[in-house]
Amino acid sequence: MSNAGKPQSFTKEKSRTKTYSLVELVKAPTTMADKGPDDTVFSFPVVALLELLLTLGVIAFLVIMSLGINAPLEEIANPNTTTDPAKAPWYFMGLQELLEHGHPTLMAVAMPTLMVLFVMAVPYIDNAREGAGVWFTSKRGKKVARNTAIYTIIVFPAYIFLDSTFPLREILRGQLPDFILQTVIPGILMAIIVLIPLVVVWRTKPTPRELVLTLFTVLFVGAIVFTLAGFLFRGPGFKLYWPWDMPGGYSPWDNL
Amino acid sequence: MSKLIEFVTNSRVWRSFFRHGWPDNPLDRSLVMTSNIFFHLHPVKASRKSLRWSYSFGLGIISAIVFGVLTITGLLLMFYYAPTVERAYGYIITLQTLVPFGQLLRNMHRWGAHLMVLVVVLHMVRVFYTGAYKPPREFNWVVGVVLLLLTLGASFTGYLLPWDQLAYWAITVGTSVAAYEPTMGSTVKAFLLGGPEVGQEALTRFYALHIMLIPMGIALITSLHIWRVRKDGGLAANAVEEGGSNE
Repeated sequence: MSNAGKPQSFTKEKSRTKTYSLVELVKAPTTMADKGPDDTVFSFPVVALLELLLTLGVIAFLVIMSLGINAPLEEIANPNTTTDPAKAPWYFMGLQELLEHGHPTLMAVAMPTLMVLFVMAVPYIDNAREGAGVWFTSKRGKKVARNTAIYTIIVFPAYIFLDSTFPLREILRGQLPDFILQTVIPGILMAIIVLIPLVVVWRTKPTPRELVLTLFTVLFVGAIVFTLAGFLFRGPGFKLYWPWDMPGGYSPWDNL
Repeated sequence: MSKLIEFVTNSRVWRSFFRHGWPDNPLDRSLVMTSNIFFHLHPVKASRKSLRWSYSFGLGIISAIVFGVLTITGLLLMFYYAPTVERAYGYIITLQTLVPFGQLLRNMHRWGAHLMVLVVVLHMVRVFYTGAYKPPREFNWVVGVVLLLLTLGASFTGYLLPWDQLAYWAITVGTSVAAYEPTMGSTVKAFLLGGPEVGQEALTRFYALHIMLIPMGIALITSLHIWRVRKDGGLAANAVEEGGSNE
């Protein structure tokens, strides 16, 4: 700082002799031109405090819940006495519900495998950079997701109810080969239900984003419907009941 | 008092721990983040857009927090447990009746496990509907799906450990589904159960998977996941200009 005067005069001298020339004009945004002020905050303390609060909140929630509700514990495991109904953990109840509607290889293996593969492939199907970071990307995207969700909430419960009340596979048993009854027909039915919204959206010239929005919404809402059906609406004998009207004092919540 | 504080904070020991001053200025606030292992995954500055609650609902961070709670409660549960068919159930009874706060501990681990599955699923749904999987974040989305599968695996393997009727039949139903896969199914089932049905071998294997292999996998891949979030430019909300469109 003390000898600040010296370099300055040196620079002045230099600038008198140095020449400049315009090399090229580039059409690109300058670093900060036409941009608002840098809208950031220091991570310390803002983010650190938010995370601390979130941690305390999560722990408080878990402690209060744990003081109120005890984890279930039944009799000691006995391989000779089956529980009725025998249910998987709640997050696999969608799979167990699917098993009621067709051959296990189709319902419990092919369907979830296809689903996981589709979910992993999502960013490679819809690989446009536009529309990231915005809920549903656009008004149209929001509408597509909402309509697909409404469709799924109506169609899948109806399918579960009809297939359990009038099981085509049982009525036609012996008249058609098992493979057609258990795999081909349920497979085609499932494919039709999942593909209908996709075909409807396809006719409106969708972007790839709207296509994956449709398919993901059918699968996600479908997974919720099947999980809830299996977890809440299946009672003894794995038959359909209202959750509040289960026979034999069985409560689906005891399975958590 | 202030002299004592000054003496301590200027000592060589203190300065070997903390290589920056009190974080009340931009330089030291930056150094807190870059020189601390627990903070260094954060950027020095975060955009307000990415901190908006209605954008992310904090679901990713909540998953990590619940995983932390599960690690601590799980470790404490291990003090009062042995994975043997004869003793496992008795240990749970002892834990619930004789161990101080034992029931609370088990409840927190149980509800925490359910909460983690729920929050991780919701986190994936949030990322999907905000389009945050789009380039350059494709690979991190796939990593996230793997983390979801690992979370399900962690919860499922823990389900057997109390060795009650609920656990036994849930795992019997769950693993019998695996056997329907025509090519690998029976191999997977044999690997998980170590025998024709759920028994001591299955309990041993589920225990090893539950307390070691899967949590280590989750910890490792979560590090990769968070690191990739930073490398790919933070939350996708950052890419959005004020008007609502991006680029």
